[in-house]
Amino acid sequence: MSYPAKLSAIIELFSGLPDPEKRETLIAYADQAKSQEPREGELFDLEDVRKDEECTDTVAIFLRLDQQGGAHFRISLGPQVQTLTRAMSSILCKGLEGVSPAEILEIPADFVPKIVGAELVRLRSQTVYYLLTRIKSVSKVWLQRQRTASLDNG
Amino acid sequence: MSIDSNYAHPDALVTTSWMADHLKDADIRIIESNEDVLLYDMGHLPGAVHIDWQRDLQDHTVRDYIQPEAFAALCSKNGITPETTCIFYGDKSNWWSCYALWVFRLFGHEKVKIMDGGRDKWIEEGRPLTREVPHYQETAYPVPASRRDGEIRAFYDDALAQSRANLPLIDVRSPGEFKGLVTHMPEYPQEGVLRGGHIPGAHSIPWKQAVNADATFKSAEDLRKIYETDIGLKPDDRIIAYCRIGERSSHTWFVLNYLLGFDHVRNYDGSWTEWGNRVGAPIEKSI
Repeated sequence: MSYPAKLSAIIELFSGLPDPEKRETLIAYADQAKSQEPREGELFDLEDVRKDEECTDTVAIFLRLDQQGGAHFRISLGPQVQTLTRAMSSILCKGLEGVSPAEILEIPADFVPKIVGAELVRLRSQTVYYLLTRIKSVSKVWLQRQRTASLDNG
Repeated sequence: MSIDSNYAHPDALVTTSWMADHLKDADIRIIESNEDVLLYDMGHLPGAVHIDWQRDLQDHTVRDYIQPEAFAALCSKNGITPETTCIFYGDKSNWWSCYALWVFRLFGHEKVKIMDGGRDKWIEEGRPLTREVPHYQETAYPVPASRRDGEIRAFYDDALAQSRANLPLIDVRSPGEFKGLVTHMPEYPQEGVLRGGHIPGAHSIPWKQAVNADATFKSAEDLRKIYETDIGLKPDDRIIAYCRIGERSSHTWFVLNYLLGFDHVRNYDGSWTEWGNRVGAPIEKSI
């Protein structure tokens, strides 16, 4: 499957970078993680706030659907969350903007090493995959609720 | 806050305030070692270099540490000589800085210290960080004659012999890992271990018992109670400590060796990721 256009552009950007610049770009994305947090007054269709047993800190995913059915994510991360995961939160919020929940479920995780680089995906940094899993999980729950609601209404 | 003078080697620690006053000392090298692979890039102590536990200290093909030639090259690149006092600090309550310090000791580098409380304490106190990467004049660090594997490092066979001889083995993992209830650390993903439990006869003394809430080491009196009074270890005991991959046990190795003055402590860095996967390795569970 091809990646959504915005995510694809980010992957392409990283793919062309030598390792040191890849690192710098990841830092720049990590710096922007705060700006992906929910803003005051924003309303969401689904919120998933939890600290899983196998995670260092709380990861909160907020989903809003626009009128065309496109997803918009906000993510807030606890202070102990690793820098790579922070970078990935910015990348995913931007890269998946406007993509439908059904499409999100189909996105393969193989883009992660293309962005992060093989050197940084290693023992003790595997949580870099975790955010995509959580985003898919939220998308799946939202789709299930929609199906249930349409059955109830039908 | 000052360093407890009752430690066996109080000079093995420096406080964050001491560090702040000595950032530009010519005879020291400040070394950051973290679990978070990009944390150094996000900001570090002014003048600090980055030594990564995997990239810099481990062989990339064989599960082992670098060879003496590579260690000498690493030190030379970072402007370190055998006379340089290396002061380590990092995230995770100094797990990885103790690990890096232990590897430096493997190669016989004598002048090593830990910044008590690590990176989190430095930040908590509002002290400065920079993203500027320092460059030091390259040195010609002599290639160490050997690695001190036999003195401060234990292998599977050593740990097995220790277990069979009922000699002290310290399991520094969490109680759940020790009991065999879980095969991952709390708050971490699975790291590919097939069996849970502990080495037969091991004492459970989680690393965390040795630190205060601010990641500083507990007082000498508190540490003696934990390791000597409660468990019955003696300073001349031959001890092996282990965890999952050797970083938390490096922390305990530092405590026993430098803060309590135990002279015969070895770190089994193969730890549970080796033992729990090894065909035929004896395992005890205590559920």
